[in-house]
Parts: sequence; structure tokens; C-alpha cells
Amino acid sequence: MAVTALPVIHIRDLRKTYVVSERETGARAALKSLVHRRMQEVPAVAGISFDIAAGEIVGFLGPNGAGKTTTLKMLSGLLHPSGGEVAVLCHIPWKREKAFLRKITLVMGQRNQLVWDIPAADSFELNRAIYRIPSDVYRRSLDDLTGLLDLEPLLRKPVRNLSLGERMKCEIAAALLHRPQVVFLDEPTIGLDVSMQRRIRSFIADYNRRYGATVLLTSHYMADVEALCRRVIVIHHGRLLFDGELSGLVQRFTRHKTIVIQLQDCSVDLHAYGEIIECVDGRATLRVPKAETARVTERLLADLPLIDLTVEDPPIEEIIEQVFAQEVL
Amino acid sequence: MKGLGAIYLQQFSTTLASQLQYRAVLFIWLIGQVLEPLIYLVVWSAVSRSTGGNVGGFSAGEFSAYFILLMLINHSTFTWIMWEQEYRIRLGTFSFALLKPVHPIHSDIADNVSYKLITFPVMLLVALALSLAFHPEFHFAPWAVMAFFPALGLAFLVRFLLEWTLAMTAFWTTRVSAINQVYFVLLLFFSGQIAPLSLLPGPIQAVASILPFRWMISFPAELFLGRLTPSQALAGLAAQVAWLAGCLILMKIIWRAGLRVYSAVGA
Amino acid sequence: MRYFRLFIAFLRIGIMNELAYRANFFVQLFESVLELGTALAGLAVVFSHTDTLGGWLPNEVLALVGVYFLVGGSIRLLIQPSMERLIESVREGTLDFTLVKPEDAQFLVSIQRVEIWKLTDIFLGLAVLAIALVRLGARVGAIQLMAFAGALLAGGVIVYSFWLILATLCFWFIRVENILVIFQSMYEAGRWPMSLYPSWLRFALTFLVPIAVATTVPAQALAGRLNWQTLAGMIGLAFIISAISRIFWRFGIRRYSGASA
Repeated sequence: MAVTALPVIHIRDLRKTYVVSERETGARAALKSLVHRRMQEVPAVAGISFDIAAGEIVGFLGPNGAGKTTTLKMLSGLLHPSGGEVAVLCHIPWKREKAFLRKITLVMGQRNQLVWDIPAADSFELNRAIYRIPSDVYRRSLDDLTGLLDLEPLLRKPVRNLSLGERMKCEIAAALLHRPQVVFLDEPTIGLDVSMQRRIRSFIADYNRRYGATVLLTSHYMADVEALCRRVIVIHHGRLLFDGELSGLVQRFTRHKTIVIQLQDCSVDLHAYGEIIECVDGRATLRVPKAETARVTERLLADLPLIDLTVEDPPIEEIIEQVFAQEVL
Repeated sequence: MKGLGAIYLQQFSTTLASQLQYRAVLFIWLIGQVLEPLIYLVVWSAVSRSTGGNVGGFSAGEFSAYFILLMLINHSTFTWIMWEQEYRIRLGTFSFALLKPVHPIHSDIADNVSYKLITFPVMLLVALALSLAFHPEFHFAPWAVMAFFPALGLAFLVRFLLEWTLAMTAFWTTRVSAINQVYFVLLLFFSGQIAPLSLLPGPIQAVASILPFRWMISFPAELFLGRLTPSQALAGLAAQVAWLAGCLILMKIIWRAGLRVYSAVGA
Repeated sequence: MRYFRLFIAFLRIGIMNELAYRANFFVQLFESVLELGTALAGLAVVFSHTDTLGGWLPNEVLALVGVYFLVGGSIRLLIQPSMERLIESVREGTLDFTLVKPEDAQFLVSIQRVEIWKLTDIFLGLAVLAIALVRLGARVGAIQLMAFAGALLAGGVIVYSFWLILATLCFWFIRVENILVIFQSMYEAGRWPMSLYPSWLRFALTFLVPIAVATTVPAQALAGRLNWQTLAGMIGLAFIISAISRIFWRFGIRRYSGASA
């Protein structure tokens, strides 16, 4: 593997452990807790390592509480790691050097940095002052983003009058005005309707193509990751389960394949061939162990008067669910 | 009615648990409630000292007694519901209260009282400490002391209802701090917290008796300190009851109107 | 210079924010007038029963009320709304956005909200102050004015630092927004001459909750009652408490970002 340049994001054995006070229920325990609090250590991130090169869009996938947001916060300097190495653009994030902060940006789904009662354009001006963006760069940036995100009709409206999707577009624009090299997106499409999700995804892809920004995107929507990321990192219980191409994820974790056949009707008994998932109007879906796929397909073709037959991978959601359920490493 | 009792009991233990969780809050509020009467206690004691004794029927020791008592009464009757309601509505959590099959006012009362169960002993200790520092003079009459307790209960109910109704203005406007401010300014002046009402000029005293504020705080204090005749005390209790009825009606009206606005706008 | 430009940027936002709610101005004016009226009425009631209060003449106490509104208005204009917003943003998680910006976080959170209509308090305070000064006669000279300005500035720093310390508590205690309530009543102590208070209370109001000093000492300066030791002490206190608040703030941020304490 050729090493071309230093990775933009570098993590080695990163850990984060939270200390929370815990308490039993009831009034007596409540009184006791006034005097003595029991602390418990909760490992949110339990030693993960990866490197991300410039210009990559990486999807960070995991169920709620997996440690995705915690990792993102450690990368953006918001959290101190409990252990391990972390470097972004050759800076140590938690030192929060101004030069570092100028090169990154953070977008959090359903959390606003825009000022509520005034038009988005005015919040943009505020960011311009804070990031000290020269006016010509700012103008160009704003024009580009307005074009890419279709912001023209939204800029003059107070943010509170915008719909959730419109607000998200403005939030993203505000975060990108200073042309950061690294973009952290924490659940950016959460709560949005499907068409808006697609808009935002295509924007992120466009932006990455145009400016070569490195994008780290966390999501629990598979669709986000499928659409944007060649590379996927799967995290669960604070541990890395998988780091590689999406197709590799499918390859490695599926034990089954799905065979979909089209018959005249559902009268034929298909139990001998595999697990029947469903049969509707003659269209039957069978689940078959991966190793058996070729053999079952042969038999189906030989035995039955098929109208059609396709072999598919199970839907990625299912794969991920299985991955989380089994924690196969 | 039994169901309501169970709700109150449950709210007690819930509030107890949550209040003890956020310990700092308990003490923060108490500080403010001690300092204010303390300031006026000091000011009026200074006044009585500079005039060499009696000011409008109050000696320095009687001022101390008045303000220390006022502190306890204010603590017993105060609410924070205006801020909480604005907060609840703004964040949309009020909708949850509306989904329950009980009028939200009950859990608010229970919350209020259970908070005070924890804090009142502390206030009592503070009152004792202040008594050591400022030497209050009390002139009891047993009947007055007995009448004090129902008066205090009525004061609590009147004040709670009025402030709860006031809190409902959050249905119409998001900036309730202005309205709250107006209320508190009026309360401060006309409930005897700046000066015993008998020290205010005559016309002002008349206004004070028409407004509800005297009946929330000042009246129980006047009663306990033996400054009222039995007939005055009786008239006062009647005024409290009248205000209670009035506030109840007002509350119902505002509540219904507010609900209509709230459900029209949505959470 | 850069800080000043950032402050102007936030000021613009604050103005625009408030202009969106034009009614607020009239509400604020009404509120301020009402509050001033109550303060003056309280003064009137007290001085209807006595000629001096702890050695202070009525017009000197009036000057104190003027300073009280001037300082109070300044707090409510910038310090209080920004600190309240800080506490909110910790709870909502939006403080993260501020921490990710390439500017000093303490500065950003301290100027983030400007409630422009609170200027009415400031103007009313100045008006009352002017009236009191006129009534006090020509005893106010250049030295008194300089001492007044110095005390005012030191007082402002003290109050801001105190507010910052209170707001920083939100990193440990969740329900800290209730601080607003105490501040109001604590600040009330500054409406009356501190010489009235017993020594333990004066100590508390100077060193534990150093708010009353911000009003009394400037008023003393104007009334010609200020000695150099008190002014120097106040300026020294301003330095000390601003250092403490800065250290505590940084400690709070470290705590918030989970650095091992």
C-alpha cells in the first residue's frame, strides 16, 4: 500500500470513558444520594483506530449509543479522549488551536447554530466575522453555496419560519462558508423527509467533488451511507466492527443470499429449497445460505416452471442489524 | 377524590427525587428569599434608629419580627410557575401534561408543596439565626396565632391560583418576563414587602386592600403579630375567600381560552 | 480591535433580533418606568419617616438609585442575556458550536446576546443620576467624576466576573438557570447604602456576592464620600475576581470536554 501523504484524520486506540452517577429509585435512595453518590464508568469508545485520507467521504455507522457522536466530538476537539492518539490535519483536536478550528466544521442534525429570530443571511454574516473570512472569499463561498443548495428564497426569511429541511440547508451553508478542509456531519439527515435527505446527500457529494473536503458522516440511516460513502466504518458498543468498502461489508457479513423467483402462483411448496420469506402473487422470496446458492438456483431452474429468477444480497439494513446483533468481528 | 390523593402522593415522591437530584437549585432560591426581607429589615431598622424609636407603630424589634415573619410567609406561598410554564410551552413539554387525565394544576401544586417540605425547615433555621442577630419582638394573641394558619393556607391558595393563571399568559406570548416583572413589582409594593402596609400613605393603603397582594403575604403577618382586631381579622379572612373564588373563576376562564390558543398553534 | 469588531457583529444581531419584536420596546419602557417608580416610591416611603438613612441624605440615596439603574441596565443589556444563553446552550448541546469556533469561547459566550431595549434602564438611570447631581449641588468636581468612572468600570468588571462564575456552574449543576431569580433579589441590596448593613452582610455583599459594591461605591464617589482606600480596594477586587472567573471558566470548559481534572 503506497503511502502518499499524511492522513487527514488519524486515530489510534482511541478511548473515551464517561463517569456517571447512578442511583436506585425511590425517595430513600434520593435522600441517600444527597450525601453519597455512587459513580459508574461507562465506556463510550473502547479503543478504535483508523486513518482517513484527504478528500475521502467516510460513513460512520452504528446504532444509537454506539460511540459515533463521541468519536466525532473527540475529532472536533469538543471532548478529551480518555486514552489513545488522535490527530486531525496534524493538530491535536482537544488543544483547540485557532488554526485548527478554522479548518474544520461541525454540523449536528436537529441542533441549530443559526440565530432563531433573524434571517439566515444575518447569521452567515456573524460567521463571517468569527471566521474572519475576507469579503471576496465570503461572497464567492456564499454564491456557490446558494447555488448548490438552492438557498435564494430562504436567505431573507427568519430561521424560525423555515421548515426543518430548509433550516438544515441553511445550517449546512453556515457551516461551510469558511471552506473548511474537514467536515464533520453528525446525523445531518435525521428527521428530514426523503426528498430533502436526497437533496442533502447529493449536495455533500457535490461539495466533496468540488472542493476536495474530507467528510466524516455519522448516521444510522443506511441510505445516507449507501449514497455517499465508498468507505464505511461500523462501530458498536464503542468498538470498531468493520472498516472498508461497503461492498466488502456485504460480502463479509452475509451468511445468506436472497433468491427471488416468479411463478404462476404460490401453490408450489418451496420449503425444500430454502427458507420462505414471503410469497405474493407467485413472486416468492427465499433465503438461502450463501454456500448453497448455486445448488439451489440450479434445482429451482430444473424443477420449476420459472418465469423469472434473481439472486440478491439481503437488504443492507438487515445485514447491519445482524452485525449489531451478533457483533461478528 | 381518592385518585387525586394518589396523584399528589406520587408527585411528592417524584418531586422529592428530582429536587434532590438538582441540589444546587434548592439553595439558590433560598438565598434570594432570605436576602430581600433582610434588606428591608435592615433599612427600616436603620430608619427607626435614626428617628430614635417608633416608626408608624413599629419599633426596631417589631420591624425585625415583621420582616422575619414575612420571609417565612413569602417562602410558604411563593411559586415559580411563571418561568416553568413559559419554559414548558417553549420546549413543547407542556403537551405531555395536557395528555394526562388530570388538570395540570394539581401536579404543579404538589410539586410546589413538596419542594417546600424540604426547604421550609432550612428557612426556619435561617429565621432563628436572623432572630439571634436582629432581636425581633413578638406580641402574640393566642386567637390570632390560631387564625394565622387558615389565613396562611388561604394566602397560599390565592397566590398560587393567581400566579398560575398569570403563568398561562405564556400561551399568548413568548416574552412573559415583562408580564412577570409587572406582577412582581406590584406584589413587592402592595404585599407589604417593601414596608409594612400601615406605613404607606393612606390612599395607597386603600388601594392595597382592594388588590389581592395584601391577602397573599401581608395579612397573615399582620394577624400573627397581633396587629389586627378580631373583626379586622374576620374581614380579612373573608377577603381571602372572596379572592380565592375570584381567582378560581379567572383561572378557569384563562385556562380554557389558553388551551384554545395552544391547540390552535400546536406544540 | 478584532474583539471590538466581533462585538459589533453580535450587537447588530441583537438589534435585529429585537427589532423583530417591536412591541418589546414599549413593554420594556413600561417595565423600566414601573421599576423606577417602585424604587422611588420606596425611597419616598422611607424618607417620609426620616431625614437621613445611615448618614446618607435623600439626594445621595437618589444618586445611588440612579447608579443602580445604570449598572443594572448595563447588566441586563449584555451580561445577563449572554450568560442565560450560555446556560441554555449547555443544556441544549449547542455550546458545542461555540467551542468549535476559532475564537476565545469566553468572549463569544459573553457577547452572544444583546437585549438592546434594556437601554431604557440605562437612560433612566442616567436621568435620575443627573437630577440627583443637580440637587446635590456643585460639590461634584473632576476628581469625583474620575473616581466615579473608575468605580463604575471596576464595578462592571466585578459584576461580569461574578455572573460568569455563576453561569460556569452550569457545567456541574443542570438547573442553574434559576440563578436569574437570585440575582434580582441580591442585586436589590445595591439599591440601599451599604453602610446600613451589619458588617457580616457588608462582607458578604462585597466578597461573596460582590454586586452591591458595583452600585454603592460609584455613588459614594459622586457624593464625595469615597476614600482612596475603598476605591483602590475595589479595583484590586476587580482584578482578582476577573482572574478567578477566567480560571474557573477554563476549568469548567475542561470539565465539559471531559478532560481529567
